[in-house]
Amino acid sequence: MHRAPATQQTLSKAASPVRVGLGLRVPHYGALVTRGVRADFAEATSENFIGRGGRAFSVLERVRQDVPVALHGVSLSIGGTDPLRDDYLAGLGELAQRIDALSISDHLCFGTFGGHYAHDLWPLPYTEEALDHVVERVRRVQDRLKRQLLLENVSSYVEYRASTMSEWEFLSEVVTRADAGILLDVNNVFVSAHNHGFSAREYLAGLPRARVRQIHLAGHSDGGGFLLDNHGSPVSEPVWRLYEHAMAHFGAVPTIVEWDERVPALAELEAEAERARVVATVQLAKVTDAARRAP
Amino acid sequence: MTLAELERYFAAAATSGVGPIAGLDEVFVNRGALSASERLAIYNRGYYYRLLDALAAVFGDTKRALGAKEFERVSLAYLAQHPSEHAAIERVGRHFPGYLRERFPALGPTLALANLEWARLCALVAPNPQSIALARELRPAEFPRSRLRFVPALQCLDTVAVWRATQAVTQCALEAFEFQSLSAAMQGASMSRVCAVFDTGQVEADTQRAFAVISSWFARQWVERVEVDGA
Repeated sequence: MHRAPATQQTLSKAASPVRVGLGLRVPHYGALVTRGVRADFAEATSENFIGRGGRAFSVLERVRQDVPVALHGVSLSIGGTDPLRDDYLAGLGELAQRIDALSISDHLCFGTFGGHYAHDLWPLPYTEEALDHVVERVRRVQDRLKRQLLLENVSSYVEYRASTMSEWEFLSEVVTRADAGILLDVNNVFVSAHNHGFSAREYLAGLPRARVRQIHLAGHSDGGGFLLDNHGSPVSEPVWRLYEHAMAHFGAVPTIVEWDERVPALAELEAEAERARVVATVQLAKVTDAARRAP
Repeated sequence: MTLAELERYFAAAATSGVGPIAGLDEVFVNRGALSASERLAIYNRGYYYRLLDALAAVFGDTKRALGAKEFERVSLAYLAQHPSEHAAIERVGRHFPGYLRERFPALGPTLALANLEWARLCALVAPNPQSIALARELRPAEFPRSRLRFVPALQCLDTVAVWRATQAVTQCALEAFEFQSLSAAMQGASMSRVCAVFDTGQVEADTQRAFAVISSWFARQWVERVEVDGA
């Protein structure tokens, strides 16, 4: 008799120590409204809802009736040298309050230049100057929002000659000095490790465990000589292996599956999230079992 | 280089519309199969791909009218002059209809199409109104001194009104006097001034027409609230 591999089995929410979430995407709005959210929480892209009304906001409110919602931004530009936008922070704070957001996160990168938005996650040089700059801005954002900010590591394709520390050293220093949290994108670690030739496991080992508050999973593609973080395909098998390792190392960290390009049917996205739940639960059980057997 | 200089340099490379800029190897590490130039090209392609995609998503009919190739050519020229100013990528087209009007006045009906598509986007993303006013809130004694505040989603073009009704964007044609009265009211004119638009010297007909038009604003839920001078 054919048996599904462990990772394809389903697990009741109650039996799992790991909360799994889904990114809200426009093609799924109809289904989310009619039959609700089949995940423990949802993640909304902040910029899609700040200052907005209409259908998008009513869907968000409907989802919020079912599950908590984490806000995840792409335009804060925490590492940018343009001033932080007061109107953006005001809108973000208001949105977070309105939906009683589970968390607020953005990316450790810059995305503004000369008063303009790149709508991309551009990498920072990992220097002492950049470190001081980012720490100061994270503190200001947290003071303004009156809550902790989670910072996500980005995929990158270039390294600056000026960098004097590794990305994980930089990220660790930022969150420790600013008292912020980490949204660890496991796919991004894998992509950047491939593109820059470092060890993904060394990256994970270098992070302060207690500060890893959420995990992201997503797909990438092979760009021919480099990996491209495109969020347009299922999570790859090597990333699932790295996720297993992350679960064993960091414990039951809430996990979100993201899919932004060529968005599949909601059921397929939910299946990816369920796979994350099963992988994490199995891995955590192994860790617990190993600890029990240890002399 | 300082952080600000490095960021300016990166932004120049990532947004360059004329290929790689000078000095990449001095700023970025060359490692593995890809040169610094090829690595920066990934960001450069991503920058334009995302913004072109955002413009096409808002100005779909304009793109069809111009043709995909011409739309891309015009859009690239537009982006060079008007990089995004808003945290939400969909707003990158804010100046696009004006840019088309200024640079390509011969486009004719396509200009009106671009205007309409931008108005539809504005109606779609506008905040929800604080309230919806009813026509009975216009009290006869205060009518001349009353001013209407409209819902944020309402957009008034030359011949068309665009708004959001039950979450979907909709539109209707406006006759000249409807456009003039609505424009005046949206600019904050008092009802006595708004009603002057309808004055053709035929008191009964003018009054009926004013009543019908102003009532329709309330019926379509365009009015957020009624304010009265001195109240």
